[in-house]
Amino acid sequence: MTDQRSVFADATQAKGEAIIECVGVDKFFGDFQALYDINIRVGLQEVVVVIGPSGSGKSTLIRCINRLEKHDRGSISVGGIELTDDVRNVQEIRRETGMVFQSFNLFPHLTVLDNITLAPRQVRHIGKDAAEEDAMSLLERVGIPEQARKFPGQLSGGQQQRVAIARALAMKPKAMLFDEPTSALDPEMIKEVLDVMVELAKGGMTMIVVTHEMGFARAVADRVVFMSDGGIVEVGTPEHFFTDPQEDRTKLFLSQIL
Amino acid sequence: MSDREVIERESDPAAAGRPIHVRLGAWKWAKKNLFSTWYDALLTLTLGSLFVAFGWTLIRFLFTSDFSILRVNLALLMVGGFPRDQLWRPVVALILVSILLGVMAGMGSASARDTAEQTGLPYERSSPMAVLKRFWPILAFVVVVLTLTETVTPWLVAGAALVAGVGSFSLGRGLPAGVRRFGWAILAIMIAAIYLVLVSGGVGWDGWGGLHLNLFLTVAGLLLAFPLGLLLALGRRSTLPTLRAMSVTYIEFIRGVPLITLLLMGIFVIGFFLPTGFRPGNVTRVLIAITLFESAYIAEVVRGGLQSVPGGQVEAAQALGLAPWKTMRRIVLPQALRNTIPAMVGQFISLFKDTTLVIIVGMIDILGASQSANAQGGFLAQGLHRVTLPFVALAFWVGSYVMSREARRLEHKLGVGVR
Repeated sequence: MTDQRSVFADATQAKGEAIIECVGVDKFFGDFQALYDINIRVGLQEVVVVIGPSGSGKSTLIRCINRLEKHDRGSISVGGIELTDDVRNVQEIRRETGMVFQSFNLFPHLTVLDNITLAPRQVRHIGKDAAEEDAMSLLERVGIPEQARKFPGQLSGGQQQRVAIARALAMKPKAMLFDEPTSALDPEMIKEVLDVMVELAKGGMTMIVVTHEMGFARAVADRVVFMSDGGIVEVGTPEHFFTDPQEDRTKLFLSQIL
Repeated sequence: MSDREVIERESDPAAAGRPIHVRLGAWKWAKKNLFSTWYDALLTLTLGSLFVAFGWTLIRFLFTSDFSILRVNLALLMVGGFPRDQLWRPVVALILVSILLGVMAGMGSASARDTAEQTGLPYERSSPMAVLKRFWPILAFVVVVLTLTETVTPWLVAGAALVAGVGSFSLGRGLPAGVRRFGWAILAIMIAAIYLVLVSGGVGWDGWGGLHLNLFLTVAGLLLAFPLGLLLALGRRSTLPTLRAMSVTYIEFIRGVPLITLLLMGIFVIGFFLPTGFRPGNVTRVLIAITLFESAYIAEVVRGGLQSVPGGQVEAAQALGLAPWKTMRRIVLPQALRNTIPAMVGQFISLFKDTTLVIIVGMIDILGASQSANAQGGFLAQGLHRVTLPFVALAFWVGSYVMSREARRLEHKLGVGVR
């Protein structure tokens, strides 16, 4: 099975300099193998959209990239730093990658402003005023500066997710990881979050996005990666991927969702 | 029970079909709610006569009993064997406690007001009437105590404490946010001041007694047990097997032993584990026992709080690059401890009541004082327990009831807007 996959799924052709690089990554949860021999390179300013049926390992893959899950074999490096058991390496990589979660995970006991300034102040040791100024400009960028002093619980889901994006951006990451950022949102709020993400992609942010939003994939992805049963099945540019998929699994999946 | 009845209005076409509510007269209300069936009537009559009988007994008790045992022993019940020429110390301490509580409540109220202003959450300043409604049992108890006094001094002290409390509430409310950030320093300084007033001048705390001792053991026991309990809870969740095993062993051992056993061990056994030359008094020994006991329970309360924080919170903090201890300090603990407040108050109440157990190691707390009052020559064997024990019960009921009401209020408040 593994061999068959790697023949067709060459995800290592990044455009330009690689910022995220996974080589032969395997991941097990007990006896269950969640990731099979993942090889992927993501170049600077590239947007990679990962799609696939649920349980296919998409989320596990991006959670391995910032060590929320530990991979068992192979190597992962971000911005030239390889993920090892060394805690300092892990911290370094987490500082360089922003992550946005399906369930927002904002800190409910802190105001929106404090949510955004916490990490810059605690990790990067930036002064309060500078951090807040930064946070306000980020909030303006995601379109909700007027919510700065409120608590997350007072905001709608879409607003919360935009705060979560601002919070990740506040660390000035080299790459952003999105784990199904719109899956927990009501339909009318999906667009406001996707708009922010499109804006971010156009601004040259390196992004790996796990999503079911095919419109988003078509519009901004440089490459689309299709995963199934823990392996990468097919990789291609959006037009190639959506109009002329090569693999039967891909065709089946696309026929089910489009 | 409903005191309204729904009828349909037919005359007004605009309101036709819409139910309206009409207040019932007293007779109709009684008929509807108390006597609607024969078994309702039976129940009403049975319970009603029980209430009347109980009320009559209570009134007769209040007006025919001789409360002179309480009058004579009031100081014993309040402060035990505290040297009578040093009574100004508890008095000053009481006023300082009022100031401390007032300032803290004032600052709390001010930051609630500021937060509401910033976030647009609704904020309503509680009226004096609402505050009275919350704390009336304490006021009632103070009045009961004052009516039992024989001089005017306690009245003056109570008045001064009230004025100090209200005054420092306004003061605390008026403090700017910059000063409020140092609230912990005010707390520490005040606690140190109260401590010094009470123990300086050679009185020490080993001669303490009465209600004063119960309150001291409760507050000091919890303050000392909290840090220990927090460490135990963190230890129990640690990834280091030795630390975890030690925490679990300690917690499960202590929780499997009755407090009385620990108190007795505190008096008779702790001495063997202390360095020679260090011979603490009985109050210190009991305080050590209570701290060790309470820390195990607080550890379990805190563990519950830690478990209530969703894993996503830790992941989000990790993803931002926060170091583990900063994640704990900034993200997990603030949420976990907030969630434990109701359980912590429950622990406080139960410890408050458990402090009466020190009577078995020969200490004169309020319960012990009531027992020794009954053993005095003039009051011996007259069945006066029926006067002293209800008084002791009243003291504990007032403390426990007010605290549990406040805990519920806090729980309700914290549930709004913030989470």
